[in-house]
Amino acid sequence: MSNVFSLLKPYRISIVIAIFFMFVELVVDLLQPLFMSKIIDNGILHKDLPVVMTWGGIMLAISFFAFIGGIINSFYASHVSQSFGYDIRKRLFIKIQSFSFANFNQYPTSSLITRMTNDITQIQSTVFMSLRIMLRAPLMVIGGTVMALIVNFKLAIFLAIIIPLLIAFLIWAMNRGTRQFQSVQKRLDSVNGVIRENLAGIRLIKAFLRKDFEVSRFKKANEDLKNQTVSVLRLMETTMPVLLLVMNLGIMGILWFGNVQVHSGETKVGEVVAIINYATRITTAFSPLSFIIRAFSRAKASAGRISDVLETDIDLFDQDDATSIKKVEGNVEFANVSFRYPGTDEPVLQNLSFTADAGQTVAIMGATGSGKSSLFQLIPRLYDVNEGAVFIDGRDIRTVKLDSLRKQIGYVPQEALLFTGTIRENIAWGKEGAAMEEIIKAAKNAQIHETICKLPDQYETIIGQKGVNLSGGQKQRISIARALVRNPKILLLDDSTSALDLKTEARLLACLKNYTCTTFIITQKISTAMEADNILLLEDGRLLTKGTHEELLKHSSLYKQIFQSQFGKGDARYA
Amino acid sequence: MLKEWGQPFRYRKVNHQEKNEDGTFKRKKPKAKIGTVKRIWRYLSYNKGLLAAVLLLVALSSGLGLYGPFLIGKGIDKFIVTGSYKGLWILLLELAGVYILYSASLWLQNIWMIGIAQKTVFQMRNELFRHLHQLPISFFDKRQHGELMSRVTNDIENVSSTLNDSVIQVFSSLITLIGTVAVMLALSPLLTVVTLVIVPLMFFGMKWITNRTGLLFKEQQRNLGELNGYIEEIVSGQRIVKTFSQEQKVINEFMEKSGRLKESAFWAQSYSGFIPKLMNVLNNLSFAIIAGIGGILALKGTISIGVIVIFVEYSRQFTRPLNDLSNQFNTLLSAIAGADRVFEILDEDEEMRDEKDSVCLAEVKGEVEFRNVSFSYEKKGDTVRGINFTVKPGETVALVGPTGAGKTTIINLLSRFYTVDSGAIFIDGHDLSTVKRESLRQHMGFVLQDSFLFQGTVRENIRYGRLDATDQEVEEAAMLANAHSFIQKLPDQYDTILGQDGGGISQGQKQLLSIARAILADPAILILDEATSSIDTITELKIQEALGRLMKGRTSFVIAHRLNTIQKADQILVLQDGKITEKGSHPELLKQKGFYYGLYYSQFHKDIS
Repeated sequence: MSNVFSLLKPYRISIVIAIFFMFVELVVDLLQPLFMSKIIDNGILHKDLPVVMTWGGIMLAISFFAFIGGIINSFYASHVSQSFGYDIRKRLFIKIQSFSFANFNQYPTSSLITRMTNDITQIQSTVFMSLRIMLRAPLMVIGGTVMALIVNFKLAIFLAIIIPLLIAFLIWAMNRGTRQFQSVQKRLDSVNGVIRENLAGIRLIKAFLRKDFEVSRFKKANEDLKNQTVSVLRLMETTMPVLLLVMNLGIMGILWFGNVQVHSGETKVGEVVAIINYATRITTAFSPLSFIIRAFSRAKASAGRISDVLETDIDLFDQDDATSIKKVEGNVEFANVSFRYPGTDEPVLQNLSFTADAGQTVAIMGATGSGKSSLFQLIPRLYDVNEGAVFIDGRDIRTVKLDSLRKQIGYVPQEALLFTGTIRENIAWGKEGAAMEEIIKAAKNAQIHETICKLPDQYETIIGQKGVNLSGGQKQRISIARALVRNPKILLLDDSTSALDLKTEARLLACLKNYTCTTFIITQKISTAMEADNILLLEDGRLLTKGTHEELLKHSSLYKQIFQSQFGKGDARYA
Repeated sequence: MLKEWGQPFRYRKVNHQEKNEDGTFKRKKPKAKIGTVKRIWRYLSYNKGLLAAVLLLVALSSGLGLYGPFLIGKGIDKFIVTGSYKGLWILLLELAGVYILYSASLWLQNIWMIGIAQKTVFQMRNELFRHLHQLPISFFDKRQHGELMSRVTNDIENVSSTLNDSVIQVFSSLITLIGTVAVMLALSPLLTVVTLVIVPLMFFGMKWITNRTGLLFKEQQRNLGELNGYIEEIVSGQRIVKTFSQEQKVINEFMEKSGRLKESAFWAQSYSGFIPKLMNVLNNLSFAIIAGIGGILALKGTISIGVIVIFVEYSRQFTRPLNDLSNQFNTLLSAIAGADRVFEILDEDEEMRDEKDSVCLAEVKGEVEFRNVSFSYEKKGDTVRGINFTVKPGETVALVGPTGAGKTTIINLLSRFYTVDSGAIFIDGHDLSTVKRESLRQHMGFVLQDSFLFQGTVRENIRYGRLDATDQEVEEAAMLANAHSFIQKLPDQYDTILGQDGGGISQGQKQLLSIARAILADPAILILDEATSSIDTITELKIQEALGRLMKGRTSFVIAHRLNTIQKADQILVLQDGKITEKGSHPELLKQKGFYYGLYYSQFHKDIS
């Protein structure tokens, strides 16, 4: 957690300035009763108007001075808190960008979002408040106690005993509050999670008429959040009445013993009055304290959640001696690769070996769940292999800098993920600063150019979240164009043409030949596989067989079955 | 290092004026936010009784808070000064009673208020969520998910913290304020008026500030929402970010959005920070005015010096609650901004309500007719036009055509996710626009293009099709969909928890689960939109059998690119550019030698030719 608050360091000058002006205000506040008494005692009581005017003028001037100070404080305090929040957000986001997928599994998306917005807001507002009012209360408490001790040690010992006890009580409450606030934030995560799921699955929910079901699910998450919030806030709010009661009982004690001591002549009347006066002031000073303590426990809870993310160990990173790979030919080799997803026991890929030469097209086929997509994820090193190695141009990819490796790869996932923005921006994702001609060329090859031209704003058409206003096939083709625009040396197509009609698909595959790259295609269609130089047939994570279409037709009964499932028995004759 | 001194003054000015669509500033002053406050009040007033009790307690504790010091003063005068013991006991007992009562009433009012506030927030969230479900699909097409999420959490959170703190504070300040003004009026109406001179000043000062902060807070919440949206998208799309190694680009974009939030929040906070300072200056001004004018009046002998002294004291009493109120203003303003954004969604038009006289379809045979249907999503350029076809109960209809030809649109219209622009759709002779949406969808089963799964167990996800299905029925559906065998291999079989967005299983397996879900729903009309696109063809063959059994006796709509899956359809509709260009059974269409013919032969025999 020190981690989070250490980000305040760059702003120490601003913090000092803010605190300085807070002091200025505090001093002016303390001086004002003095001026007021001057006006009353020397001016009004003596009917001396010039004195009233002079001191009144001074008072106005000085309060104007405080006003300016307050405004400056406001500026610096906002600056510190906002910049601090900005810095944490930046750190968090950069950290998350370096997350591996295993890391992502640790935190649901909704939780990451809460941490990056709500949690940071909590910390931010606490910092802002601290720089504006926080110091007042503790200073008043400490100053008041010290002054009381100076006035009459014996009587004030009451306060000196009570106050540390109360502070201990507050700290206890704060620690408990922190833990409870942490669980409030966790509940907020789940509320966020339900909303997120509902937004993503809204079509399905409407289609299956599950509104009421979802509403009651949300209600439950919401209720949990409410109950947890109520319970922690009630704990926090209990501190205040307890505090006041104890302080007030203390004042009664002072009154009693004061009376005793005055009676015995040990203490002067004025001293008792003064100490009671200090005690009441301290009591008033305590009242914003409960608010402060609540803010602090909440900020502490949030800071804990943020540093959890910041301190997450990244399990996939560049090795120290990793070097960039400049020019890639496109030779890909899998050598005895075994792989299972982090945190699971079941291997998805076992002892997989094959090579693909530069420029070749490799089709990957296999039943649903046989490990095709998992195999793909190993090439851009989204996950590390558990055994064996993946080589590109003869180099183990673990010795290659991640970004230099991925720069060579064009990846088209199964689900066409697009981002809010224009079509042009989405295609340009593939290559930063891509020229319009390059984008159009990629779009043409991906067979989407004509469709785009028919849209009202052509390439500047804005697509909504996840491309909802496009058809499945259109999304897939934009996603393909995005991969093509980077002129990849290795192209990975993960069943990315499933929503395309066959004519479009055939044209697209023909256009891919314009690119000199090693192409891997996951496909269900024999017609696509037939074109490949090599077909890998996977079954339950193992490489069952490999070869060309003709070879597999001869050797592999599974391949023959697939063939028949698509062409019927009669058509097999032509092979 | 020195650079830092000037930093707070280097923030880019954020405009606090609302812009018109063309970028010019609105001349109109920002709308009064009274409407928003009234609406929050409406939520609060659900708990009127308790709220009244809290109010009473606030009055009680305010009174006790004043009575305590009064008793102490009395004690000092009577006992300490005189040194007498007589009756001190009684006074102390009285004092103890007052203090205990005081603390108890404080405690109770806080506890109750928290309950009220959180209940209010709970209701707002629920209402918002419920409302989201009543919005048309087109609403969601336009919005970023994360941005909407921000409204349900961040914006409502703002309202929540304000209700917790401010309501009691505002009440108690008002009570003190009224009491003080009453006493002041009784003492000297003239000086009271003088004291109140600062009120208009205060009013203008506050107005100046709130005119700015109101919009700035809104801007801040908007930026926060946008940032939320961006984070959601990027985290969900992490696979793309990583494989395209665009981390730096994403970070830059994020920082730009984050910077915008920082700027607007900086100004909102700075401006609202002025309020207490302004109040302080005005306090002192009022004090000086009272002293000055009081002095003159005293010189003339109009009022006694004692009155002035008391008045000075009271003017402080008068401004203290105002000060407290102004300190709350900050949170109040941001809460209003938050609430505003929540109400914005609540004010969105619901999916057109069913007509009053719309009917429930108790039973559906499954006859479907499209009569001259046209529709467009953006209201410019028809997506589909002049669609005419009839389907008899139990028939299977296949929709074929290039991507973007309007196949999914027809499904969207049939299920009334969208409403036709012209023409009409009939089911069993009922015009769809006269049928209750819910009762319509009750008879339909869907396997949609993107097979969405919820976080939860496999069993729960299948059961989504029919919530009251038994475990056995769930498993039977899974077997029919050929999902049973892979589920058996999962670590906890049917109780395996799927990660968010259905993580942990492959795309094809997700489709199998969606099919199982639709099978379980047992609908009269079945819709399969690319239901098997990610499933390998051998598995598909096996499902085909099951689907064949499933489709028997039901009207089914099938969209598929692999033509072998639809050859058996009773009717094939070929869509091109939003129009039906060919219609008929497989052999009929082959005879026509049109688009379908070409498509069919490109798929099956391209290598021969």
